[in-house]
Amino acid sequence: MVSHSYSFELKSDLSELETLCQHLNKFGQITGLSQACSTDINVCLDELFTNIVSYGYADDQEHLIRFTINLDNNVLIFKIEDDGVPFNPLKKKDPEVPADLMDARIGGLGIHIVRKLMDDIHYKRKGGWNSLTMKKNL
Amino acid sequence: MEITHRLENEILIITIKGRLDGATSPKADEFIKERLKGNSNRLLFDFEGLEYLSSAGLRAILSAAKEIKSREGKVMLAGLNQYVYEIFEISGFTSLIPIKETVEEALKDLAL
Repeated sequence: MVSHSYSFELKSDLSELETLCQHLNKFGQITGLSQACSTDINVCLDELFTNIVSYGYADDQEHLIRFTINLDNNVLIFKIEDDGVPFNPLKKKDPEVPADLMDARIGGLGIHIVRKLMDDIHYKRKGGWNSLTMKKNL
Repeated sequence: MEITHRLENEILIITIKGRLDGATSPKADEFIKERLKGNSNRLLFDFEGLEYLSSAGLRAILSAAKEIKSREGKVMLAGLNQYVYEIFEISGFTSLIPIKETVEEALKDLAL
């Protein structure tokens, strides 16, 4: 299988979710990923990006968030880097499965979805940047 | 994202099409809250045209479902594609909110 590498940056604004989707469509076309897989990837990167934009910055400045996707030997590797406040999403506890609708909460659900859809996740803080690397086996 | 509503036999039907994510969910949330100002206690989400959903979108749906539940009413979802269903399933919501395959089926059930 041919290996592919794809990188892009998004501005720290939720309107960029549309750009994220466009990039992933393009990556899906280049690599021939299934629609189901592309959508799973989209939601994972969406959840992490939304977290960074919503909680990651102490100022009102525009920041850039870097994305790199590598496909090699049927393994997808994703890297997301941001210069926001130190935040390790893996430290968040998985939400408990609610027994009743009234007890259901959304907090922490985003990262729970990412954990379920990805095969491996690593967090690193280096030189003022958060770096999250994820692996998905095809 | 496109959101509309209609009433059928006093059942409030909210139709969401396209992508419900962190960018579009505030608009959906506001729309739903406005529609719930009436006294409807039966709500159906028609997701036949919903292509994509993230946890930000779930938040808006959950908040509406809780509101209806507090009125001792009934909430249902219909027409979920495979992907949207997966998100509900991973989140543990498939056991909390009844899901029907089609809008027609859900309406029959809600009319009872």
